Amino acid sequence: MGAGASITIPDGIASGRNHDGAQDMSETHHLLLQQIAKGDKQALAALYRAYERPVYKFIVSRLNDPHEASDILHDVFMDIWRVAGSFEGRSQVKTWIFGIAYRKVIDVHRKRARVTVTDDVPETTDVQDAADTTYAAQQEAEHLRYCVGTLSDEHRSAISLAFYEDMTCAEISEVAGVPEGTIKSRLHHAKKLLLHCLSGRLGTGAVA
Amino acid sequence: MTRTRDDIELDLAFHVNGTLSQAETAEVDAWLAKDDALRDEHDALAKIRAEMQAEEVSSPGAFGLARLMRDVGQTGAVAAAPQAPSRTWMWQMAAGLAVAALLGQNLWLRGGDAPGYQLASAETSADMVVAFAPDATEEQIRGLLLGLDVEIIAGPSALGFYDLGVLEGGDASAAITGLRAATGIIESVEDANY
Repeated sequence: MGAGASITIPDGIASGRNHDGAQDMSETHHLLLQQIAKGDKQALAALYRAYERPVYKFIVSRLNDPHEASDILHDVFMDIWRVAGSFEGRSQVKTWIFGIAYRKVIDVHRKRARVTVTDDVPETTDVQDAADTTYAAQQEAEHLRYCVGTLSDEHRSAISLAFYEDMTCAEISEVAGVPEGTIKSRLHHAKKLLLHCLSGRLGTGAVA
Repeated sequence: MTRTRDDIELDLAFHVNGTLSQAETAEVDAWLAKDDALRDEHDALAKIRAEMQAEEVSSPGAFGLARLMRDVGQTGAVAAAPQAPSRTWMWQMAAGLAVAALLGQNLWLRGGDAPGYQLASAETSADMVVAFAPDATEEQIRGLLLGLDVEIIAGPSALGFYDLGVLEGGDASAAITGLRAATGIIESVEDANY
């Protein structure tokens, strides 16, 4: 495995939230993939550093299991190592990598035959009656985590990619392999369910 | 192009994350200025996004990278393997029948006193014939075969079957039991000597 022609990327180029440098970043990451295809471990390490956190956050948001999410993240980068040469540059590196992670989590759900809450309105029986307007940010975050956890995997994926990763509709569509209209519909539904859940838990008049 | 309120509502999430085009953003802004309910929804979404962005996640970091480098060192680079053709249940059934017929013929030939015809190239020492699950990874297959002391002798056949042989000192019946138990990796197992 030659590491001679390795590429390092600047620290500032990271998760894809910097839209100004998105084109440069995509080209840099494409070059990294080409190096990985030649067996360059340092290029793999550079790509790992660039995507490890956002991809892990995406995976863990869908699995709620940090240990399993770590294993899936590992598998994603092992796959990248194996199939980097098959990347044809027809999509962005970012959506290609998130697409691998997206499908791996679907496989996990299939294997577990996990029953997910889908289009049902979440139960709100555990609403805290004592809710008042002074909830600490931490409590709100916990409520949000809970409510996101009640969503189906499809809804959770869409909201995670839109709000964690700030992806465009077209990018999310590419990751999930479905039309943009489907993504908009999933997001719309996820939003309704989330707001309904949050309004119940926070006891506020949030939009339902 | 003038869009309806429903169209605008579908775009709110992308207005919040700042990924709409300038024209689309201006259109949503115009609606937000005149529609209180839409604005409330927009503000709630913005708050949700802010909470999600602020969420701290402890990722594997350097430990994950070390693990990756270790495993990459063990496997080496692997070329992109062509995807196995997907198998429908009808295809699987047809394949199963074909294998059963071949095994039956083999049994019939062995059962007779006459040695029967045998092609020089057809001689095989396979102990079992298997089909791997379509989503089984190379890593899973390798781990399973190594653990059971078996190796791939031939394959894949046109139908996607592999001949496996037990390594010297290995236990064929234990291997078959092990293969049958690995339902997530192995789709079917036939004892080639039965």
